[in-house]
Amino acid sequence: MKSEEREEYLKEYDEKKKKGVPFWPDIIFKDVLVSFLLFLILVALAYFLGSSLEEIADPSDANYTPRPEWYFLFLFQLLKFFPGDLEVVGVIVLPVIAIIFLILLPWTDRSKRRHPSGRPVVTGITVAGLVAAIFLTVQAIEEAPLPASATAEGDRVAALYVENCAGCHGPTVIVAPGTDLFAVISAGTHEGMPSWNSDLSADEIDALVGFLLAPNGNEVFAAACAECHTLDQLIEADAIDLRSALELGTGFAPHADAAIPDWKGLLSAAEQAQLLNFLTAPDGQRLWTQLCAACHGRSVAVSGDEAALRDLIVKGGGHLDMPAFGGTLVDTDIQALAIYVMDQTAYPAGEGLFAQHCSSCHAQRVPTAGSLDEAVAAIARGGAHEDMPVWGEILTDEQIGALVAYVFQAADLPDLAGGEDLFAQNCAACHGELGEGGPNPARAGDIIAPISTAEYLRTRDDQTLRAIVSQGQPNFGMSPFGDSFGGPLNDEQIDTIVAFLRAWEADPPVELPPDVPAVPQSTSSGREVYQQLCAQCHGDRGQGGIGTAFGEQAWQSANSDSAIFDAINLGHEATAMIAWGEILTSQQIEQLVAYIRTLNSSGSATGAPTFVGDVLPIFQASCAACHGSLGGWTGTNYEDALNTGEGGPTILPGDPDNSRLVQTLVGTHPDGIVMPPSGALSDTDVQTIVDWIAAGAPER
Amino acid sequence: MATRFGDWLNERSGWRAAYTMVFLRKIPKINWAYTLGSATLFAMIIQIVTGILLTLYYVPDPQLAYASVGYITNELPFGWLIRGLHHWGASAMVLLVVLHMVRVIIYGAYKYPREFTWITGVALLLLTFSFGFTGYLLPWDQRAYWATVVGTQIGEVTPVVGDTLRAVMLGGEEISGLTLSRFYGAHVWVLPSVLLLLVGIHIYLVIRNGITSVPKRGE
Repeated sequence: MKSEEREEYLKEYDEKKKKGVPFWPDIIFKDVLVSFLLFLILVALAYFLGSSLEEIADPSDANYTPRPEWYFLFLFQLLKFFPGDLEVVGVIVLPVIAIIFLILLPWTDRSKRRHPSGRPVVTGITVAGLVAAIFLTVQAIEEAPLPASATAEGDRVAALYVENCAGCHGPTVIVAPGTDLFAVISAGTHEGMPSWNSDLSADEIDALVGFLLAPNGNEVFAAACAECHTLDQLIEADAIDLRSALELGTGFAPHADAAIPDWKGLLSAAEQAQLLNFLTAPDGQRLWTQLCAACHGRSVAVSGDEAALRDLIVKGGGHLDMPAFGGTLVDTDIQALAIYVMDQTAYPAGEGLFAQHCSSCHAQRVPTAGSLDEAVAAIARGGAHEDMPVWGEILTDEQIGALVAYVFQAADLPDLAGGEDLFAQNCAACHGELGEGGPNPARAGDIIAPISTAEYLRTRDDQTLRAIVSQGQPNFGMSPFGDSFGGPLNDEQIDTIVAFLRAWEADPPVELPPDVPAVPQSTSSGREVYQQLCAQCHGDRGQGGIGTAFGEQAWQSANSDSAIFDAINLGHEATAMIAWGEILTSQQIEQLVAYIRTLNSSGSATGAPTFVGDVLPIFQASCAACHGSLGGWTGTNYEDALNTGEGGPTILPGDPDNSRLVQTLVGTHPDGIVMPPSGALSDTDVQTIVDWIAAGAPER
Repeated sequence: MATRFGDWLNERSGWRAAYTMVFLRKIPKINWAYTLGSATLFAMIIQIVTGILLTLYYVPDPQLAYASVGYITNELPFGWLIRGLHHWGASAMVLLVVLHMVRVIIYGAYKYPREFTWITGVALLLLTFSFGFTGYLLPWDQRAYWATVVGTQIGEVTPVVGDTLRAVMLGGEEISGLTLSRFYGAHVWVLPSVLLLLVGIHIYLVIRNGITSVPKRGE
């Protein structure tokens, strides 16, 4: 405002004042009246609504749904529009802009105009800001109990969402691309969100991730699948089966007799992706465990860049194992196959050829190619495919993205899964599964203190832990584990264990020493002493483990009673087998020898292993990921396990040595095939399978 | 007698001049929207009076805060009224401050010669929200606790100083007795001191510069 404008304003204002009214009593009357009304309203609110007081604050109750006071609701709601790294925009940038706008208002609006119609910009911004704040507040209030779809019966995941997430997030969550949702949910951290790790299982978090990334997935599920399937059924289903069911319609064997429509035509590509994301959450770690670990092991390692890895996953191994049919089949057969592959209706006769030559690997999913020529070339040339499925045809983009991200992330981290395995194999027998310790098997009356307390880990650096594992603590009965001291572990494995121990420090599983069971009495029977002292290494029925498997016939016949007595009495240097003679009486050792003589890991004590009880779990854990959905030998049911296989039965009941299964497991197969590709099964598992076959491969 | 006492006092304080300036000053003709400022002032006075009464019984200690609020609400004679007025008065303050500000913006009342009045007003708005935030924790119930957890964690996003800011506010990484003491200290001592100073300046400026007239179309 110029100075003459200022003077003019003051003059006009003086005029108006003269024509006005005195503050007392005219103006003050209105003020007092309004204030009195305000007071009445407040008293009425205090009387009729009161002021609530909820339960006393409980910091451990992460399930409480916090709601800010109503005048902060619009800010709270605003944050929902700025997910992930954009948070700062909603929290800081916008509020600061608003405050600066207010402070600078007299200097940004310098005209002498005062009527709102003469200042459209300022009036407009003010009204828009007010409307936005009111809108956000109303939205926040309305969203509180949501979402409506949650009430749909049986929608377990939506119910989970409502129970745990909707209180803060309303009916939907906007997720920034590339967010590791699983990590966000399980760790919490962002915007005051608590960690859900302890309240939700990994499966539930998975389901939530799927729900969030595919909010309509549950509707597609309800419309297409819910009539025949429960949600649990399909969430547990194999990714390959899900994709096959979607693409093959009634061509998918389990759907052969089902009266179902052609999903592929009925559901749009987006809906299919939503459904698959919903059922198999795009969570890299879980996908790795389910799909990759069977062949690649639990330890994640990667070389090359992200694009290369993505390409590898999408294309699968690209058919490395596929034989070049160019030399095996005549040209006309190749041509016929190619035509069939390109269009199954054009040449139905190709089905026979496909079943004969291709189904063992491709199962029922007929692959396709860009053109007939490409198909001919691919069949004739054979190619890549190290048994690795073409995941690009099976997983959704989100799932592949999550998998790639996980591999890179996990490869950089200490190999905790591997460390856990190593710890379980080598340390847990004495230190307990969680490092809680317990009675010292090497020294009567001694207690192994917990090694997983915060105090223990804080007071020992990695170097010290490494030295303890590697060199052992002979004074306390701990034998050396490092291979340079005669133990079983190399430096890398010890580092892995140390990293695993170190990971306990942040969240120690053990707070207090456990209760200690009594030391064996001198009157204990051989069996009791064995179960208490020997079983943790040698197995409860002598099936072995860390220590020798003396349930085996060969061992029993190779050792005399006195040799066994001496071994127990004197121990073996450089192993965890200590000289028990210092702890046990001669009489106890004699009882032990007698008891060990009765052990027979494949024999009468517990009965022979059965398919259903002992073998099937091994097959499912270690074989089914590839065998089954990819064709070839199938071990997921008794009939198939005995009857399928390339070039003859894989299992010869009663003859473990000549069974192809055993040969591939122990590495005696004439063609040098070794299973599983990720690394040998544990000795116990192999022994169970051998014993099972030797016993005639009984079903139950 | 009263006149003589008035004269005596006037000679020593000049109250008549002040009275004339404050109460007998002429005001342009205005409408009901102009009562929002005085209503806000009145709500503030309610908050101060009830707030002082609450401090007589409230104990800012995590072990005792909840129980003392419970005592005030349920057992203390007229405690429900004191706490009820303070509770609802807080909402009224926010509502009135915002409406008052909207009125000022719509009538262009922040313009010459009232720019400084406006600045103190913006500061008072932020102060009002700070009162709301610090006061919310004091009852130490679930809603108080968790709203503060979320509120302070949201603030943590602030670039560079976020973590430090939160640690200073909470007195550590987690909400604790220290947090309660700090919020109580801010709510009862720090913020009111600043508030009274700013309100004093604000009102002085309003009286000195007079209240804006209702602008006519074209003005």
